[in-house]
Amino acid sequence: MSDNFSRTPYSDGHAATHEEASKPHYTTTTSSFSRTPVSPYLNYDSRYLQQAQPEFIFPEGANKQRGRFELAFSQIGTSVMIGGGIGGLAGVYNGLKVTKALEQKGKVRRTQLLNHIMKQGSGTANTLGTLTVLYSACGVLLQFFRGEDDHINTVIAGSATGLLYKSTAGLRTCAFGGAIGLGISSLYCLYLIAQENSSNSSPKYL
Amino acid sequence: MEEYSREPCPHRIVDDCGGAFIMGCVGGGLFQGLKGFRNAPQGLGRRVAGSVAAIKTKSPVIGGSFAAWGAVFSIVDCSLVHFRQKEDPWNSIVSGAVTGGILASRNGAAAMAGSAIIGGVLLSMIEGLGIFFTRFAAEQFRNREPHIMPDANEGYGDFNSSGFGFPGAQQATATS
Repeated sequence: MSDNFSRTPYSDGHAATHEEASKPHYTTTTSSFSRTPVSPYLNYDSRYLQQAQPEFIFPEGANKQRGRFELAFSQIGTSVMIGGGIGGLAGVYNGLKVTKALEQKGKVRRTQLLNHIMKQGSGTANTLGTLTVLYSACGVLLQFFRGEDDHINTVIAGSATGLLYKSTAGLRTCAFGGAIGLGISSLYCLYLIAQENSSNSSPKYL
Repeated sequence: MEEYSREPCPHRIVDDCGGAFIMGCVGGGLFQGLKGFRNAPQGLGRRVAGSVAAIKTKSPVIGGSFAAWGAVFSIVDCSLVHFRQKEDPWNSIVSGAVTGGILASRNGAAAMAGSAIIGGVLLSMIEGLGIFFTRFAAEQFRNREPHIMPDANEGYGDFNSSGFGFPGAQQATATS
C-alpha cells in the first residue's frame, strides 16, 4: 500500500475520505487498518505498530514457566495449611465428643478442647507436610538429573514418595505405599492430560 | 530455579510456611540424625537404625514448629505492611516479637513476654546483619573520588612555554 500524502493534505479530512471513496482500486489490505488520516511528517506508518502482540522479556537462559523448585514452597505451605485445617476440624469433633462423654465443664473442657485441636491439627499438618517434602525433593532431583520436566517426573516422584514414606515398615507395606503413590500421581497426570486436550494450551507440570 | 524472589503479600504466607517447614524438616533431620546416631547402642547397624528412627520421629515435629512460626510471622508481617503502607526492618522486628508472644500464649503472661522479647531480639539481629551486608555490598559500587586538576589560571598570559597557553607538564596532565 502506497500512501501519497502530497495529494491528500492532512488538514482536509473530509476531502481525503471523499477521494478514498472515489478510488475503488484500493486493495483489501486497507480494511485491516483504521481509516484515520496519518500525518505526512512521520517517516513511518504508525498503524503497523498497533498490530503487534504483547511481548515479554526473559532473562538470558531463563525458562518461560516456573520450575519445580519455585513451586515446591507453595506446595509444601499449602499442604501444611490444609493438613492443619483438616486436623483442626477433626480435633474439634473429637474434643467435643470426649468432653461430652466425660461430662467436663468450664475451664477443664476448654483446655481439653484446645489440646485435642492442637495435637490433631499439628499431627495431620506434619504428616502432609512431610509427604510433600518427599514429593518435591524427588521431583527436583529428577528434574535436575533428567534435564526435563514432564508427566514422567510426576509419576516417578509420586511412586518414590510412597516407597520412601513406608520404607521402614516392611516390604509388603513399602510396595503398598509405592502403589498408592503411583495411583494418585497417575490419576493426577490423567487429569492434567484431559485438561490439556480440552483447552489445547501448554501443560503446566507440577 | 535461576533466582527465587519472594511472592507479594497474600501468597507470601503460604510460601514462607513451606520454606520454614523445609528448613525445620531438613535441618532438624540432620541434627536429630546425629543425636540418634550418638544415642544408640554400639554397632554400626544399630546406630544407623537409631539415627533413622530419630529422624522419623522428630523431623516432622520440628518442621511443624518452624512452619507454625513462619506462617504466624508472615501473617503479622503482611498485616503490618497493609496497615502501615511501608516495608522496613521495623515490620520484621515487631512481627518477630508478636509471633513469639502468640505462640507462647498457652504458657501464661510471663512466658509470653519472655518469648516476645526473644523473638524481637532475634529479628533485630537478623535485620541488623541484613543492613550490614547491604552496606558492605553497596560499598563495591561507590564512585571513586574525582581527580582534582591543578590550577589552570597559571598558564594564561604566559606564551613562552607552548603555543596553546599551557605549561608543558600541565598539558600532559590534561591529556591524560
